[in-house]
Amino acid sequence: MSNGLIHASGLKKSYKIGPNDVEVLHGIDMDIENGEFVSIMGQSGSGKTTLMNLIGMLDRPTGGSILIDGDDITTISRKEMVDYRRRTVGFVFQQFHLIPSLTAYENVALPLVFAGDKGHSAALDALERVELSHRLDHKPSELSGGEQQRVAIARALVMSPKILLADEPTGALDKETGERIISLLNSLKDDMTVVMITHNHELARMSDRIINLQDGKIKE
Amino acid sequence: MRLYSVVLKDVFRRKAKLAIAVLGIIVAASAMVAVVTTFSAATESLYEESNNFGANIIVRPQTNSIPLIAGSTSLGSISTGDNYILESDIPGIYDIENSANLGVVAPRLYGVVGLGHENVIVMGVDVEQEQNLRSWWKVNGEWLSDPNGTEVMLGSDIAKPLGLDVGSAITLEGNGVDMEFEVVGIVESTGGEEDGYIIMPLSVSQTLLDKEGKVSSIDVRALCNDCPVSEMSLQIEGALPDVEARAMSQIVQSEMAMIKHTQTSAMAISIITLLVSTLTVASTMLASVNEKIREIGIMRAIGASDHQVISMLFLEGALIGTIGGSIGFGTGTLLSYLIAPLLGFAEPFPMWELLPLVSGMAVLVGIVASIIPAKRALSIDPAEVLRSV
Ligand SMILES: Nc1ncnc2c1ncn2[C@@H]1O[C@H](COP(=O)(O)OP(=O)(O)OP(=O)(O)O)[C@@H](O)[C@H]1O
Ligand SMILES: [Mg+2]
Repeated sequence: MSNGLIHASGLKKSYKIGPNDVEVLHGIDMDIENGEFVSIMGQSGSGKTTLMNLIGMLDRPTGGSILIDGDDITTISRKEMVDYRRRTVGFVFQQFHLIPSLTAYENVALPLVFAGDKGHSAALDALERVELSHRLDHKPSELSGGEQQRVAIARALVMSPKILLADEPTGALDKETGERIISLLNSLKDDMTVVMITHNHELARMSDRIINLQDGKIKE
Repeated sequence: MRLYSVVLKDVFRRKAKLAIAVLGIIVAASAMVAVVTTFSAATESLYEESNNFGANIIVRPQTNSIPLIAGSTSLGSISTGDNYILESDIPGIYDIENSANLGVVAPRLYGVVGLGHENVIVMGVDVEQEQNLRSWWKVNGEWLSDPNGTEVMLGSDIAKPLGLDVGSAITLEGNGVDMEFEVVGIVESTGGEEDGYIIMPLSVSQTLLDKEGKVSSIDVRALCNDCPVSEMSLQIEGALPDVEARAMSQIVQSEMAMIKHTQTSAMAISIITLLVSTLTVASTMLASVNEKIREIGIMRAIGASDHQVISMLFLEGALIGTIGGSIGFGTGTLLSYLIAPLLGFAEPFPMWELLPLVSGMAVLVGIVASIIPAKRALSIDPAEVLRSV
């Protein structure tokens, strides 16, 4: 047994489609160390997003287990799940997924609001870290794609999570902007573990390690 | 930033879509406010009118009837007594237990006198008391003012055929005396008996009719809406010798019952409107949850608890309720100003005490309507809605 930050063993996930259970992940064994910047690659439909959702506790596995810092999270209660999402992981999505009615600053402060944290100075720090201090009062619709993704990254790291999960963070951006985002993520690894899904080999090579998924299994 | 400001910003952004729900609440709230405001004014004015309509209790001399019996067969009865109340007995009324509730005590004397070739009915009144009782009369000219003056007011049915007007002089032939009077006022038709009367000060009529110190009846007005009128009647009968006192509150009561009945129907319609508006809000909120399915998924992913998701929806519902309820109070009040004259009711007045009540109810509707949408929101699976396409 490894003492990695994220330790998955025999991880399975199946979906109910009509009367049938379709297994998408067929027993994933995986270790990710503290402070690693890992890329997950694989063909469309290979189960990358599914795996990431399990690590982020957006979904529960149907078999196997995930340990975070040695704690099994697969059986935690709904309440603990909320707390885990608040404090242990941060998400970055391909479509940015910012709240359209809120400004950049408010979007970044939202996790603090949910967690009940009164001071919002962390939101300003996070925005500074993604070099957007000059765009605090802009709504998402008033920001470029790259800027929106940087706001989303700021939102993901505002609670100083142990793990940052990014599902195709550059998928909706041009090459140059994408590279900037990757180097931004790369710069975070001193403070947190970064797990990124990407289809782009060039970008994946900027990370420490690449995990290949094929048909719901890790390809060695 | 707080959770509520997130909701406020969201509601503000989608205001056009939420307008339907707000409108639903406005309709329901204004219907209820209009009903309550209109009928409150009507009921209130009826209470006032019930005073104007005349006395609550009418006191008459008791008719002593002696049964005529021949053997074992009743032949009916004959009335005796002189059918008058002594004026000197009247102060006794003020000694009854409920004397605090006595408003007006208006003695009257009726009699027939000659006017030219006609016989007319004279009504002698206590000038001051009678004027209190008949404050709603429209009089062309002046009211009687001098309790001993030889002046009269004419009912409209007398004035017109005889071509009399304010300022005319008439001579009335009473029991043995002829007296000259000046017409000081004409009472516009009230639809009542007084249309055919000549009205003059009590003491003058006693002289004219040769009934010194006597009155035919006393109209007593009680000064409260829920006075124990029949109780007071009994007390008056006990206080004055040989009188009959009868409560006259039935008219008012039946009219009040009619208003209450109309109000109940109107309220029932309002409550149906309220139910319909609850459905409007519920369906709008459900649509709004479906529209925000992704946003709710995002919020869950970044740490919103079940409780926070529900609170945000309830807050949205409550906000819709507050806005709709407050506007509805305004439109409802305005509406009552339109309705009241159509129903022939008194002019309404804004009932501010309804504002918190209506707002509270509207907020409740907003929250109740949010229950199903909230359940729907809780069932949202963030993994599913955030999946990149
Ligand atoms: N909620 C669901 N119900 C049924 N099947 C699902 C569900 N979510 C995912 N799947 C299936 O699971 C498989 C893996 O999906 P997943 O999204 O993890 O793939 P992916 O590797 O992220 O693909 P992509 O690169 O296109 O994003 C797919 O075949 C998908 O159709
Ligand atoms: Mg995917």
